[in-house]
Amino acid sequence: MASKKKKTTPEQLKYQQLQQKHELKRPVLKNCIKAFFVGGLICMICQAVSFFYIYYFNFTEQTAGNPTVATMVFFSMLLTGFGVYDRLGQFAGAGSAVPVTGFGNAVISAAIEHRTEGLVLGVGGNMFKLAGAVILFGVVSAFFVALIKTLLGVWGVL
Amino acid sequence: MKKIYISCTLVGFIFLASGCNPHARQEDSGMTLLKKTNSSPIQLSTMNSSKEVQDIKKDVSSLPEIYDVAVIKGKKDTLVVYKVKHLQRFRMKKIEKKLNTLLEKKYPDDKFSVSSDYKIFLEAERLRKKIKDAHVTKKKAEKELQSIIKLKDETT
Repeated sequence: MASKKKKTTPEQLKYQQLQQKHELKRPVLKNCIKAFFVGGLICMICQAVSFFYIYYFNFTEQTAGNPTVATMVFFSMLLTGFGVYDRLGQFAGAGSAVPVTGFGNAVISAAIEHRTEGLVLGVGGNMFKLAGAVILFGVVSAFFVALIKTLLGVWGVL
Repeated sequence: MKKIYISCTLVGFIFLASGCNPHARQEDSGMTLLKKTNSSPIQLSTMNSSKEVQDIKKDVSSLPEIYDVAVIKGKKDTLVVYKVKHLQRFRMKKIEKKLNTLLEKKYPDDKFSVSSDYKIFLEAERLRKKIKDAHVTKKKAEKELQSIIKLKDETT
């Protein structure tokens, strides 16, 4: 960073100063509040879906997580297809991207984007462009956590 | 924007109307997940005195982290289901361990199935209601109790 600054010409520096003067300040607190409430609302809907599975089907609190996640991903895929989730994403930012619904959005939006390139190389090849990283790191971290837990169990710590 | 206001008002009215339940005072297993039920313990076998189940419920309720308890005592197994206070839910495993040791110490002859799962609580409450309304025979109730215990042990 420092070496880059050294190379900047006086005109560039002047321009940077001018840019900083006119640059709009990001409303960080406002964005955080929006993300908090929208993320919370999504989680509340997840809880309601989870209670629905507990109440009407033979799922316990522990096992209801799987169908709940599947349902929420399905909902977010539909909303992405209808163009609603994109607007929600613009409004709430991380609030809509961090919950599991953001995963569904990442999958389907990539699929829609590359639809013109064909079904196999376009949709198939690019569908997990972003979500692939989530799955990979999720699986790898789950493996290591399970390994640590097993070892601690064998050693009698847990 | 107008549509959003209309839909918000509609949802608000639905919530308000759902509060006006004419049978609110009646026992309803539908609200088990959200409200404290404080149900009386059930004993399926006639061999032991009913005082024992009352004692089990009293002992479990004495834990400060627990706010609602349901006890169903079958021929061999005793199902103890409880709800943990919200902020204490971080220590669920410790509470379960504490409860297990307390029950094993006080009632060494009984075989306990302890759970804090809402589903098990709901099913126990449904079974209690069925027994109370005399919708099931003792034999069928025992069978249902066994299926609840089996459901409790399911992990996937």
